[in-house]
Order: sequence, then structure tokens, then C-alpha cells
Amino acid sequence: MKKKTSVGSKIILTLTMLFFYLPILYIIIFSFNDSRSLTKFGGFSLRWYEKMFADSTMMEAVLYTVIIAVIATVVATVVGTITAIGLSKSRKVVQKMVERINDLPVMNPDIVTAISLLMFFSVLTVKKGFGTLLIAHIMFCIPYVMLSVTPKLRSLDPNLIDAAMDLGATPFQALTKVIVPQIKPGIVSGALIAFTMSFDDFVISYFTTGNGVNNISILVYTMSKRVNPSINALSTIVILLITLVLGVVNIVPIVREKREKDGKASRAVSRKAMAAVAAVLVLAVVGGTVGASLSQQHKSAAAVEKYGSNVLKLYLPGEYLGENVISDFEKQYGVRVIVENFDSNEMMYTKLMAGDRYDVIIPSDYMIERLMNEDFLQPLDKSMIPNMENMSDAVLGMSYDPDNTYSIPYFWGSVGLVYNHENVDPAVIESEGWEVLRNTDYAGHIYIYDSERDSFMMAFKALGYSMNTEDPNEINDAYEWLLQMNNTMSPVYVTDEVIDGMMNGYKDIAVVYSGDATVILDENEDMSFYMPNQGTNIWCDAMVIPKNAENPKLANEFINYMLTYEAAFDNTETVGYTSPNAEVFEEMTSSEDLYAENAAYLPRSGYEADEMFHDNQVLMRELSKLWIKVKAAK
Amino acid sequence: MKRFRSMTYPYIAWIIAIIVAPMLLIVLYAFTTSGNSVLTFQFTFENFARFVTDKVFMDVLLRSLYIALITTLICVALGYPIAYVIAQRGGRSNTILILLITMPTWVNMLVRTYAWMGILQDEGIFNTILSWFGIGPVSMIHTSFAVILGMVYNFIPFMILQIHTSLAKMDKSLLEAANDLGATPVQAFLRVTLPLSLPGVISGITLVFLPAVSSFFIPKLLGGGQYVLVGNIIETQFLTTGDWNFGSAISLIMAVIIMISMWLTRKADIQVASQGKE
Repeated sequence: MKKKTSVGSKIILTLTMLFFYLPILYIIIFSFNDSRSLTKFGGFSLRWYEKMFADSTMMEAVLYTVIIAVIATVVATVVGTITAIGLSKSRKVVQKMVERINDLPVMNPDIVTAISLLMFFSVLTVKKGFGTLLIAHIMFCIPYVMLSVTPKLRSLDPNLIDAAMDLGATPFQALTKVIVPQIKPGIVSGALIAFTMSFDDFVISYFTTGNGVNNISILVYTMSKRVNPSINALSTIVILLITLVLGVVNIVPIVREKREKDGKASRAVSRKAMAAVAAVLVLAVVGGTVGASLSQQHKSAAAVEKYGSNVLKLYLPGEYLGENVISDFEKQYGVRVIVENFDSNEMMYTKLMAGDRYDVIIPSDYMIERLMNEDFLQPLDKSMIPNMENMSDAVLGMSYDPDNTYSIPYFWGSVGLVYNHENVDPAVIESEGWEVLRNTDYAGHIYIYDSERDSFMMAFKALGYSMNTEDPNEINDAYEWLLQMNNTMSPVYVTDEVIDGMMNGYKDIAVVYSGDATVILDENEDMSFYMPNQGTNIWCDAMVIPKNAENPKLANEFINYMLTYEAAFDNTETVGYTSPNAEVFEEMTSSEDLYAENAAYLPRSGYEADEMFHDNQVLMRELSKLWIKVKAAK
Repeated sequence: MKRFRSMTYPYIAWIIAIIVAPMLLIVLYAFTTSGNSVLTFQFTFENFARFVTDKVFMDVLLRSLYIALITTLICVALGYPIAYVIAQRGGRSNTILILLITMPTWVNMLVRTYAWMGILQDEGIFNTILSWFGIGPVSMIHTSFAVILGMVYNFIPFMILQIHTSLAKMDKSLLEAANDLGATPVQAFLRVTLPLSLPGVISGITLVFLPAVSSFFIPKLLGGGQYVLVGNIIETQFLTTGDWNFGSAISLIMAVIIMISMWLTRKADIQVASQGKE
């Protein structure tokens, strides 16, 4: 009988572990991948580790993540346990009320909790940073602890405390000597879940932090933007660190036990000591790395004198900077740059509206229009930006800001089709343009960009309408166009994953932003890029200074610096989007080592059917609803 | 007992300040029109009406509840035996097993999901193995199978932990008593172990079902965007469309529906538990 169950249990445990560790193994293997892909192996390499260790922000993020998770877990476990015990002796009404409220952060989508906290901190005008991040984490960790402890308390005999106290125990003794040992498994699992939640949280952290305090998740999300396999390397390091700590804590005592067969007390002590030693070791290693990188920072008093401060806060899309641009700027001007990233213009707008202060922001055309209309921006100090003369004529005086009073272009590009010319005849693509996305020959082989803005753009263009149209009939036509596409083509809707998918040739045709296409074409030579004749979205991301910038002088200086040949070259070479710097653009498009052969690098300018988006929130709401209907249709 | 009650006061104050007050802001958004500044509110039910009157949104909500329900059921069905087996082992190997179950959740969810994307590809590990037997490729990525797999993978550790907690340190003498009284092991399990572990199962369900309804990244990445779920819509309202009022209204509707279903679950639990005691 006993044997039988143990064989069965071994099988169950083996299968469980296989299931749990298959993806982990996969991550570890792919951290050594030579190719840029996250899903296809192309040879052994350590390049992602090199890249990771060269980037001090990553180690800093690891440190913050661990510190926040440890503090939040300890506080949440203590408070959660005490409260749960208290609640078990409270009136039913109170119990129910607290339970319901506790469900809120567990149940609400992270974004709702995040926005509610963001607005809350903003109403209280609390400055966001380490403190607010910690408060948020403690907030969402406590309910998990209580959810784990409560069932254990319920199965406890209610007379236990009375018995203990009858026997002369103080309430405190009854608590620590009687109750806590009984509910210990609940406390432990509550702590484990709390730690997990804190360690893995992105959305809430993103909106409650500030001042350059990042955690691993925030970093991973920005890096996944452009498919950066360093996220695998980073995860592998995290796995390694955790295994090390847990290994030391759990394995060493077993070994020692076998060797010494010592008394119980000393064993317990040595185990705790081991845990402490391991934790200190990890913190020392990570802290040392961060410390070393911090000491390299070049702050100078001269900068304070000249600009009023030596810190610049920059807020821009993820993976949008050259490798050395920031460190070069810091060295040259003796300042420190705090970089924060956003995923969408609306995400940026949300933080800005909540009162977060930045010195330079890099939003897109339509968002700049909105920020100008809502009086969020301050005029640039052109006398500090002489490098404006380096700009291409094509990017100056865009319709949203004709005199460049508020904005200076940073990158620009288009949206087009990336297709596999081995499987799709270029002649078909060129004759059909956007319509190829409704050509059932390619059903099941297309990626569509999952955003109402871009999807409706291609439908409007395919139908020969303006993409800023407000005509209900035209909108309805576009809706029908998309609906038919959805129902006949079995498309896969993607955002950033499109880069990895097309790099590996999983599909034949995809709607892609030009800069992402540059990267895809670079990695996979079967891929080509085409901008349909029906017209497309020409967009421009530009640098602006918000009204509430703390350091506008340095902001102007920074914008000027980004227009230098060196900075612009580094940016465009690393990121793959088209440079607004005339000389850099010339060089990129003439040298074969760079982007001369890469059709995606060169946007069209002056083509009549091409347009830019205008800010129109009412229209966007309508399109967003229709887009949900399209996707949910089947 | 009063002394113990007072231990809850600090936390009650805390949740009123940090959970309830911020949530009131969301309620405020849900009942006001967009574009108004903080000083001039315009109250409206339009945000709710938009959701209720359009069939597509109700469909999406129902689908989300359905997927979350399936995920929860699978997590219970698989999680219970795993937790049971682990709880059977005593001492240190028990601790190590629980740590092994938890450890993968400390790797970022997005990274783990990307790994599943690679594994489930037509050229991934599963299909490679299948091709050795001349099968396939079976398309797995961008199917509901992939979505459910990803959700179960992400949430099942919490279920296992909760059930394990309720099974661990269970009074073994109860089982011996049942045995002495002539119960078969199956009877003993059904009449003693199962009812005693129910509170753990319920809190496991809470931990899986609630976040699963609103989960966002897993259906998006593994389902290829065709599986529009309510979490997806809410996220889009806040981060892409910028319509906070509508987003807030949807999340309130969802919260109410989930509250009701959880209330029913807990009620069932109390009934079963009281039956067990009799």
C-alpha cells in the first residue's frame, strides 16, 4: 500500500516539475542564443550577458526589486497575520467588509489599481519614488497573506485561545505560543505569494514609481519592446541568485545534519545564520555593482551653476536611445540623466497629467498636438539649439508645429508591409497594397498590428479615404473592410511580438512600423518592405519640454546635443528608425554597411496620399469600440 | 476577545486610506463624462449604458468569465493531487518541493510567456518531438489551448500553495480515528480530508479566478489577440484609447459580477463546511 502511493506520487511530482521547469530551461538556453530571436536558436554566445552587465540600470533594478520585495513581504506578512487573527475574533460584519475590500486589489485589473493609486498620490501631491512604490506593494501584498492565513484560522479550534489563557498565558503568549505555530503553513505560503506578487509586478509599479526607481519588470517590459534577449540573461541571473540563496539555506543544513547529527537548537541557529549570510552576500554583490556604477557618474558643481541643477529627467519610448548617447552627454556636461520609458503616448500622457515632472519628453505628432492644445508645453529656447541647422528639410515644420516652436524631431518613419519575398510575389504586393491583407491566398499567414489607430489607417487608405476622416459612412466602410479581413483571413493580432515573429518568418505578411521593419530586414534577408501606393501614415516623434519642467535650461541643451552628428548617428544606428539629421541620413542611406540596402529605413516624403494623424479623441473612442467589435467578431 | 479585535484597527484604517479612497476615484470616473476637469464634474450613466447596450462587450465579459472558470477548474483538478502528494511528504523535502513550485513564478511573467510562445511554435519543442513520430505540425500557438495552458501555468502555483497549506499540519489522529471506526481510505479522504481542506481550495479559487478574469498579457501573447478578454479592453481604454471613464465603468461592472460569483462560492463553502461538521 505504502509503496504504491509513493510510486504514483513520484510520477506526479516528476511531471509537475517538468511542466514547471520546461519554460525556465528554455529561458536559460535562449539566454545564450547568438541570434536576436526569443524563439529560435542560432548558436551559442555570451553577447546578451555582456550587454546586460554593461548596463548599470539592470543591476540597479535587480537591487530595487529585491529590496522592495523583501520589505513588502515582511511587512505584509506581519500585518496580514495579525489582522487575520484579530478578524477571526471580530464581528461577522467587519470580517465580511474587510474580506470584500481585500478582494479589490486581487480582482481589479492591475491597470485599475495602478490608475487609482496614481490619481490618489497625485491628489495628495506626494512625490513618487521609492516610498510610493513600497506603499503600493505593501498594499497589494497584504490581501494575499490574509487569504492564505484565514482558512488556516478557520480550521482552528476557537476555544484554543481561551484554554491557553485559562492556563495562565497572557494574550501575547497565547498568540505567539499557541496560534502562530498552528497557522504557520498559512503564514509561509502567504509570504511566498506576497513575495511573488511583488517580484513580478509591472503595471502598478510603473505608475507608482518615479525618480528613476525601476524594478526588473519595468525594465523587462521596456526591453521586450524591441525584442532584446537580455531579458533572458537577466532572468537567468535572477534564477541563479535565487537558487544560490535557497540552496545555501536548505542544502547546507542537510549536509551538516548528516555529518554531525547535532542537537536541534544549534541546527536551527545555523540555518538562520546561513540564510542571513546568503542574503547579505547577494545584496553585497548587487549593491557593489550598483555602487561602482553610481560612483562613475559625473556630477559637477559647474553644471549646477550653469543650468540651476545637474539632473535631467528624460521620458521616452522604450529602446529608443543609442548605446552611448546618455553616458557621453553626462560626461560632457557633468550632469546625471534619469531615463524613464513609456509604452504608448497615452501612458505618457497619463503620468504627465498626474503631475509627474520631466525635462524632456519624446511623444508622437498627434500627442504633441494635444499637449500644445492643452497648454502643457513651453516654447523651446532656439538660441540654445543652434544645431537645428543640421536637420533635414523634410522633418522641419511638420503640420502640428509649423514653426517648430515647441518640438524638434527625434525620429520619423512610416508604416508599411513586411513580406517574405520567397512566398509572396512582390508584384502582388505592389499591385494590391493594403488589399493584399484581404487576399485569401494568404489567409492564416498574416500579422495585423493590434491598435485601432493603425488598423483603421490601413482600411481608410485601402478605400482611398483620409485616415483623419470623421464621415460616418467612410468609418462604416472601413469597419466592414476590417470585419471582412478578420473573418476571412484568420489574422494574428500582435504588437511588439511582430518583430520576433517576422524575424523568424512565422508568417508571410505583416503590418509593421518602419523602424521595426529595419530590424527585421537586418536579421532575415527573405523579408522585404513596401509602402503601399494607396498611402500610409507618416509619423514623427519629437522632443518637447513640458511647462512644469524642473530644468528647462538643461533640457534645451540636451535637445541641442541630440542634434549633433555623433548623438544622431548613435541613435539611428542602434535603434533603426530614420534620423532627422541631414548628414547622418545621407550617410546611412549611402553606405552599404549601414542602411542603404534597407528599404524600410527611407520614409517617403512629399507623397500626396501619405498623411499624419491629428489629435481627435472623439474619433479614437469610436474607432476603439469598432476595433473591439472587429476582433471579437469570430 | 476585545483585545484581539483591536489588532484589526490599524489595517482597517490602512485599507480605507489606500484601497477604498483611491477606488472612489475610479468610481467617480465611471460616473462622469470625459474631458471634465477636477472642478466641474458632469455625472452620467452613459459609460455603463455603452457597455450594457452593446452585445459585443457582454460577449467579451462572458468569454472572460468562461476562460477564467475553465482555468480555475483545471487548476483545482491538477493542483489538488499535486498538493496532496507534497503534503504527504514530511519535513525538509516538503519545504524544498514547495520552494520548487514557487520559484518559477519569480521569473518575470512576460519572459515566461515568451518562452511558451517559443515552445508552442510550429517549429517548437513539442512539434519537433511529434515530428519524430511522423505527426504534425499541430498548430498550438494562437489557440484557446495555448491561452488556457499559459493561464494554468501562471496561476496553478497559488492553488497548490493554498491547498497544501490546508493539508499540511492536518490532525493525523482524525484519519486514524476514521480508520479505527472502519472507514476505507477513500471514505476517510472524502469524509475527513476533503472537507477539512475546503477552506484552502476556496482561497485557492479566489487566488486563481479573480486575477484570471482580468488577465491581459497571456491571452494577448498566446492567443494572438483573437481572444479579446475584458482585461484587454480595460487596459486598452486606459493605455491606448485614453478613455478612463469607460475603462472605469467596465472595471466596476466586472467587479460587481465577480463579487456575486465569489459570494456564491463562499456560501457553498460555508454550507459544505457546516455539513461536514454535522
